[in-house]
Amino acid sequence: MTANQQSNEGPTVKHRHRVEGPEKHIIVFIFSIVLTAIAFAAVAAGGINTAFTIIILLVMAVLQVFVQMGYWMHLKDKGHLMPILFMIGGFFVASTCIVMALFWVWW
Amino acid sequence: MSHAEHVNGELPHEPEKATLEGRNKILGFWLFLGGEAVLFGTLFATFLALRGQNNEGPTASELFSLPITAAATLILLVSSLTSVFAIQALHRHNIEKLKLWLIVTVVLGLCFLGLEIYEFYEYVAHESFNMKTSAFSSAFYTLVGFHGAHVAFGVVWISLLIAQLFRKGLTVVTAPKVYVSAMYWHFIDVVWVFIFSVVYLLGKVG
Repeated sequence: MTANQQSNEGPTVKHRHRVEGPEKHIIVFIFSIVLTAIAFAAVAAGGINTAFTIIILLVMAVLQVFVQMGYWMHLKDKGHLMPILFMIGGFFVASTCIVMALFWVWW
Repeated sequence: MSHAEHVNGELPHEPEKATLEGRNKILGFWLFLGGEAVLFGTLFATFLALRGQNNEGPTASELFSLPITAAATLILLVSSLTSVFAIQALHRHNIEKLKLWLIVTVVLGLCFLGLEIYEFYEYVAHESFNMKTSAFSSAFYTLVGFHGAHVAFGVVWISLLIAQLFRKGLTVVTAPKVYVSAMYWHFIDVVWVFIFSVVYLLGKVG
């Protein structure tokens, strides 16, 4: 009886853990390709003013990094508060280094 | 019953997070990646500060070729997607597909390395652009070379994990290792996004 119940429960228990499909990861991939293509096109086309090109490059890079870290590294999933804090901390110190290096060398 | 198995002999739903050790490995690895972000941040800072100092050697816009950069970018992006597929296979407990996708990832990593070695060889042999040419060249080789070294390390690491999967199979001990290596691989791709934007594309703009 107990054994029967267990085998009946088996499929339902398994069913509760739905494994995600590849669709959204393929969408992230296509999105990344499009962002990369925009960045390359902005540079290859030329003729656009330099400051504007730099803004395009940075926006495309940051967007792509956000999407990839959110979906591919699962930072958007719940239970990722500490990893998000670690990465924000890392990027904060990294960007401080970059801004300060440019400031002290060129101002 | 071996220590690595779940109570009923079946792998749990997310085997990489089934044990405290596995969860700690993943958390600890995030801390490491935060440190890596700082490490690459300092190299980017050096590069950005010195990228115009070509000391009468080749400049960025003379040197870089967009097609090679685009090819390298595409290879690394696809390899990031294949490591996502590997983790999905891991969650489905499909060890054959897991091994297959990891092997594809390693092969793409090797292609990327081959392209980078070819690129550096061209610069040194035909453009007389080497480590000592200028502040720009030193900063360039240090930053891009360091990223390449990370790719090389990842290739060796994931290859060893594939060998371990063949020997020990997928357990709650091997699953966190595979998961963490996939995180590392994604992080390498994230760093490359900044490298192709800031080093190559910005170099072409001037």
